[in-house]
Amino acid sequence: MTRPPVQARRRLAHPELHMQRNRELVSFIPVVLMMMIGFASVYAARSAHVDASSLYYSLLFVGLFLAVHLLLRLAAPHADPYLLPLTALLSAIGIMMIYRIDPELAAAQTTWLMTGLGLFLITMIFLRNYRRLDDYIYLLGLIGIALLVVTIIFGDEVNGARLWLKAGGFSIQPGEFSKVLITIFLAGYLNMNRELLSTSTRHMLKIPVPPLKHLGPLVTMWGVSLALLLLMNDLGASLLLFGIFLAMIYAATGRIIYPFIGGALFASGALLAYNLKATVQIRIETWIDPWSDSLGAGYQIVQSLFAIGDGGLFGTGLGKGYLLFASGEPIIPELHTDFIFSAIAEELGLVGATGLIVLFMLFCYRAFKIAIDSDDGFSKLLAAGLASGFALQTFVILGGVMKLIPLTGITLPFVSYGGSSIVANFVALALLLLISNRTNGERAR
Amino acid sequence: MTPGMEMNSSIRRLFIVSVILFASLMAMLGYLQVIAADSLAENPQNTRKIYKQMRIERGLILAADRSLLAGNRLEEELYHREYPLGDLAPHLTGYSDPTYGQTGIERSLNSYLTGTADEVELVYLFDTLMGKEKRGADVRLALDPVIQKAAISQLQSIGKRGAVVVLDVNTGAVKAMVSAPSYDPNQLVANWEQLNADPGAPLLNRATQGLYTPGSSLKLITTAAALENGFQPDSSFNDENGNIVIHGNTINNWRDTPFGRHDLSEAFSQSINTTFAQVGDRLGQGSLLDYQQRFGLYEKPQLELPSGEIQASGRYLDGDLASPGDPLDPVQNAWLAIGQENMLVTPLQMAMIAQAIANEGKMMKPYLVDSIANHNGVIIRQTRPEQWKDPISPATAGQLKEMMIKVVNEGTGSRARTSLVQIAGKTGTAEIEGSGPNAWFVGFAPADSPRFAIAVVVEDSDSGGGISGPVARDTLLAALGYGPDN
Repeated sequence: MTRPPVQARRRLAHPELHMQRNRELVSFIPVVLMMMIGFASVYAARSAHVDASSLYYSLLFVGLFLAVHLLLRLAAPHADPYLLPLTALLSAIGIMMIYRIDPELAAAQTTWLMTGLGLFLITMIFLRNYRRLDDYIYLLGLIGIALLVVTIIFGDEVNGARLWLKAGGFSIQPGEFSKVLITIFLAGYLNMNRELLSTSTRHMLKIPVPPLKHLGPLVTMWGVSLALLLLMNDLGASLLLFGIFLAMIYAATGRIIYPFIGGALFASGALLAYNLKATVQIRIETWIDPWSDSLGAGYQIVQSLFAIGDGGLFGTGLGKGYLLFASGEPIIPELHTDFIFSAIAEELGLVGATGLIVLFMLFCYRAFKIAIDSDDGFSKLLAAGLASGFALQTFVILGGVMKLIPLTGITLPFVSYGGSSIVANFVALALLLLISNRTNGERAR
Repeated sequence: MTPGMEMNSSIRRLFIVSVILFASLMAMLGYLQVIAADSLAENPQNTRKIYKQMRIERGLILAADRSLLAGNRLEEELYHREYPLGDLAPHLTGYSDPTYGQTGIERSLNSYLTGTADEVELVYLFDTLMGKEKRGADVRLALDPVIQKAAISQLQSIGKRGAVVVLDVNTGAVKAMVSAPSYDPNQLVANWEQLNADPGAPLLNRATQGLYTPGSSLKLITTAAALENGFQPDSSFNDENGNIVIHGNTINNWRDTPFGRHDLSEAFSQSINTTFAQVGDRLGQGSLLDYQQRFGLYEKPQLELPSGEIQASGRYLDGDLASPGDPLDPVQNAWLAIGQENMLVTPLQMAMIAQAIANEGKMMKPYLVDSIANHNGVIIRQTRPEQWKDPISPATAGQLKEMMIKVVNEGTGSRARTSLVQIAGKTGTAEIEGSGPNAWFVGFAPADSPRFAIAVVVEDSDSGGGISGPVARDTLLAALGYGPDN
């Protein structure tokens, strides 16, 4: 292809350059409106009158995302225009709900949000050529696993699960970062080996079976997930990590046999855990029948179901649900993290909570679209892995609090309270935007 | 071809899988919030509803003189119910407890007391903007504690189970409603098992739920039917033996007393069964039933209590209200005319009959609640007295009144007589298998310009007039502002 003269390139690139970011800017308008109304009603419900500080929160929020938007105009002009407004809306709903539960936590969450946006910008600028990551995948994968190992050895046990690492003044959840690092590793590894993994010569009972040596990564990932489950008691992270792996190996090879073998392996591992670990047993039994121990093991899920049911079609209204005891303690433990969806479903009802699920679905749609649009194997697998992880994490926690599947402690991306979760998800968002920026930039050229 | 294009179809399938996952989340959410919402709310383990209500300052329940029947005690930001007058009127106020639920006015007017009724909500909309705390509306009863206390102490001095209902003759307002034994709603939680095991059933509101055989007190209706169907107070009858054989079945008088020649008025004041059996036989089932229904039998009175705490009066077969049209043979019909044959009535129903006779034949709709006032003291619902039925003509009512005066002055109701005021009434003694009879007194005072109608029933006693008469007399005297007449 012959390059057009410099003059022509500018003319071509310019409208495209502004189009994506202008779409983003326009998409921010409904986000800002919804956020202001939301904050105002939470304030009204909490303090019986609308305070000027509700305005400060909204303004701070709008200011932050507008600043990021302006920086994107320079750093990644071609990036997908809808992911950032969607993220802003999800974060705003999260902060609003957290403020309604405990204003002090909302202040902390705002700090985390700023940290997340900061790391997002750093990623956007310094990983502009993110494909260089492909050269360091083993190192990144090792760091990902090392973080998990460190947590297993030095971690603090909270609620029966060893997820937290205390460093200096605050604690972090390394699992959230491992998720992103291992996704990068898998994208590189599977891209490198996908032709080998896709070809098979042997058949067993007329089913094509991949050569045994190629099952190595499958078994390794299975081992890591099982270790997570048995040593960290973390069913959620284990399920998520293995699920991302199965989605990515399927994307890479197009062969349904891998998810099937993987599913069987995970099931056998889960069965082993069920027999070895009392905590896993309780999780399963509580899922099947939470009612018989509604004041003990089943308390959280039973209260979550009551809260969701109470919301009905239109919800009790922001700030008007029965979320807190008179003492200010939340009725459902972990309301601000794992169970934030129960609070949203109670106060915003079926209409609002379905809207939230639709936002997650749109986010996934854009992420998968980035995977399909991108034009190299590594980018495709990375975007598909991040998209799958996002969808799966949403499903695991929402399904858990609604008793669709056994409950496992995991955050709702961008909505739940939690520094590690927010920061790690913003890095993932940055990677998605970088991939789309590159793809669209190439097209515009 | 761009590298990796072959992955697009499997990535698309991954997206389809994620759409299926999201769709299943939405389906589950819809199931929980629409289909299962009611059963979740009604789940006995779900205390959200009651606790939510306990955060609202519940409206007060007040008597006619503004004395406090139900108030609140604030404990750890939750409002707990208190009943300062203890066992004075627990069957009217009911109770409101997070464990045992609600009864009485607490239940039937819960939406007003918690401020969730539409006309209360409207005010809050404004008040919330003004930064005021939400508070329920106050319910003011027509109940007069002086009359209520008099009736209670009368029943207590006898030491028997029973009930007293006093109605305002002109309005139908319930001025007193007593059910003995009573209980203290403040001690509900502590005494719950004991209260439920007690054979005296203290939680039962005998005044509206107690079904009693009316016996001779039902002759008020039989006589009304007779007077409007050709009989006169001086219609003549003969009673030779103290019993009569009607269609092969013997009906006898109280203690088989023979009364000889007499008129209808005499038969009424002496409660002569043989005469009323003949009257019933001659009137026939259709006419008797007509007048029973005119006086409201076979219908639940529309009092402001939960529907489950009110019983309709009428014939009961195997515990269920019989269809009024069920055909009776002439023998059954004769027994029905004197208040037997599975006829069961509530004390409230009998008080309403007395009220109608005293009010020139106009039966008023009974009511407990005088008004409801929102937290600012503004009346949002005021009960206006309403006529419910028009059972008999003023002339018939006048004739019945004269006959009822005679009962007290010369007949079976002489124990209700007092020099202070002319009382009119009718006694009843209903034989009960396995215990003493139920003693009735149904009447009103003052006879010349009636103000209060009363029904008294005392379980396991002797003759009606002997034991219920004094209870009615002293309760009516208290209502009219006199001391008890001994």
